[in-house]
Amino acid sequence: MSATSLPAATTAAPPRRKASLPPLVVIAIVWIAAMVLIALLAEWLRPYGITALDLRARLTPPVGFGGTLKHLLGTDELGRDVTSRLIVSIRISLMIAMGATVIAAVFGTTMGFLAAHFRGLVEQFVLMLIDFQASMPFLILALSVLAFFGNALGLFVVLMGLYGWERHARIARGLAIAANAQGYAAAVRQLGARPLRIYLGHVLPNIASTLIVAATLSFPEVVLLESGLSFLGLGVQPPMTSLGNMVGYGREYLTRAPWILLAPSTVIVLTTLSVSLVGDWLRDRLDPTLS
Amino acid sequence: MLRFLALRLARAALTIILVVTFAFVVLRLSGDPALIIMSPEAPPEAIEAFRHAWGLDQPIWVQYLDYFSAIAHGDLGVSFRDGRPAIELVGERIPATLQLTVPALLLHIGLGVPAGIYAALHRNSTTDRLVMAGAVAGFTVPSFVLGLLLVLLFSVQLGWLPSGGQDSWRSMILPVITLGFGGAGILARFTRSAMLEVLGQPYIRTASAKGVPWALVVRGHALPNAAIPTVTIVGFMVGSLLAGAVVVESVFSWPGVGRLLVVAVANRDLAVVQCILLLVASTMVMSNLIVDLMYGVLDPRLRAGATAGAH
Repeated sequence: MSATSLPAATTAAPPRRKASLPPLVVIAIVWIAAMVLIALLAEWLRPYGITALDLRARLTPPVGFGGTLKHLLGTDELGRDVTSRLIVSIRISLMIAMGATVIAAVFGTTMGFLAAHFRGLVEQFVLMLIDFQASMPFLILALSVLAFFGNALGLFVVLMGLYGWERHARIARGLAIAANAQGYAAAVRQLGARPLRIYLGHVLPNIASTLIVAATLSFPEVVLLESGLSFLGLGVQPPMTSLGNMVGYGREYLTRAPWILLAPSTVIVLTTLSVSLVGDWLRDRLDPTLS
Repeated sequence: MLRFLALRLARAALTIILVVTFAFVVLRLSGDPALIIMSPEAPPEAIEAFRHAWGLDQPIWVQYLDYFSAIAHGDLGVSFRDGRPAIELVGERIPATLQLTVPALLLHIGLGVPAGIYAALHRNSTTDRLVMAGAVAGFTVPSFVLGLLLVLLFSVQLGWLPSGGQDSWRSMILPVITLGFGGAGILARFTRSAMLEVLGQPYIRTASAKGVPWALVVRGHALPNAAIPTVTIVGFMVGSLLAGAVVVESVFSWPGVGRLLVVAVANRDLAVVQCILLLVASTMVMSNLIVDLMYGVLDPRLRAGATAGAH
């Protein structure tokens, strides 16, 4: 391998991009910021309760399509305000995806560190789990767990949190093994630091940027997974609402009231698009080794 | 090559064992099946009889071994809802799923690979930009949104194609596009970057420097080398295709395995779920094995059996 990579070095690496933000990334960041704000302030922003019925204004179209300012994005079959439901859905979907991404990062990194620290059988076991996870479609594993355990919000978040852990584990293991061979980890070890301190205090800060990029890249996938499961009626359960849930419900009124479905669909697409744009940009900036 | 194959086969077997173990552990962790299936008010004798009939009164490791031997004999349990063997229920749905997944996979490969190669050879052209945009769309537009948008356009607005069901070949069009489009985009992006990487290699420059026509350089040097990572990703895509089928079949009310899985999960019909889980695992193992065999065909280093010292 080293023999072949030597001459390859002559093909110069592309020059690093300048620090200025590409306009698309700026738009993406603005969109993400708006979504986070909406999620945080959902309880104040929503004009109506998500279960409040306005039976006289059922299936009102959005403003501009024959609707009124009373219901900006129209109403559904029961006269519930689509805007309010959308705002609360953004909050719930983002909270689940955020929680799940954090769980995956923490769990994956821990597994990776364990593998790097103990090597031997522990490492083989972790690698086997990684292979298993990577070789099975996650949606189908998640569905079978939901079949066996039934659905509760807490379990659902934890389950989503298993998504993508193997990528973090793989990265953390590789980087920790490399770090262990470097001077700084050996130096603190020589000074008598315990493993926990070495890994959390010294190795983790050094590899954090790579892990954060990996988490950013898996966040949109978790959003899609959650909305997919909720769409199938197997994720977030009514009366709670999430983006996928709204799409699933709106599907019943596809012909008569397409806005019920189009509003959350647009939010899902724009959000996953924005986060992946920012993630790709971050990856190129911070860590050219990930691809 | 033999050693390589043996290793791969061992890993395939290990994956299957892990999936079976996973199903067993989850099944046992989920609580007493007797209480889930029968109502809690059922007479204790009935619950006892149920436990005995299903072997639930045995020690856990006996249950585990029994579970393995039952599966090895093709006994995957009986649907709790329907009373028919789960394997039969799943089996009769397989053709419908293949009707969607096989054309979708062909669409992935037939559209994605040429588009990616073309984009790599014409870097920064309009086609290149289109391919990259398509790849991003394939990654960020969930299949249920794409499917419903297609229904909205082609069934509701234009009335050209049926919105669901399995009546004629025309009802296949929308689901196959929904299932195939995203993957084609992702595969195009991947093929493009694999090609670009190969095109930057010194042997490409050597070949064109010694006067080999560009078309021959591409055909003889670039394509075979870019094929190896591309085949790997196609193997992975079988998994996302199966997951996609679950969603797409639900969107289009297509009577396949994916739709059955969703209904079985909603009804907590464990035998059916477990049977589908095994089916998916075997499919994944098979597709990984095929990918490994393809390596053998594509990579002369593996054919010559020089794997031992290669890494």
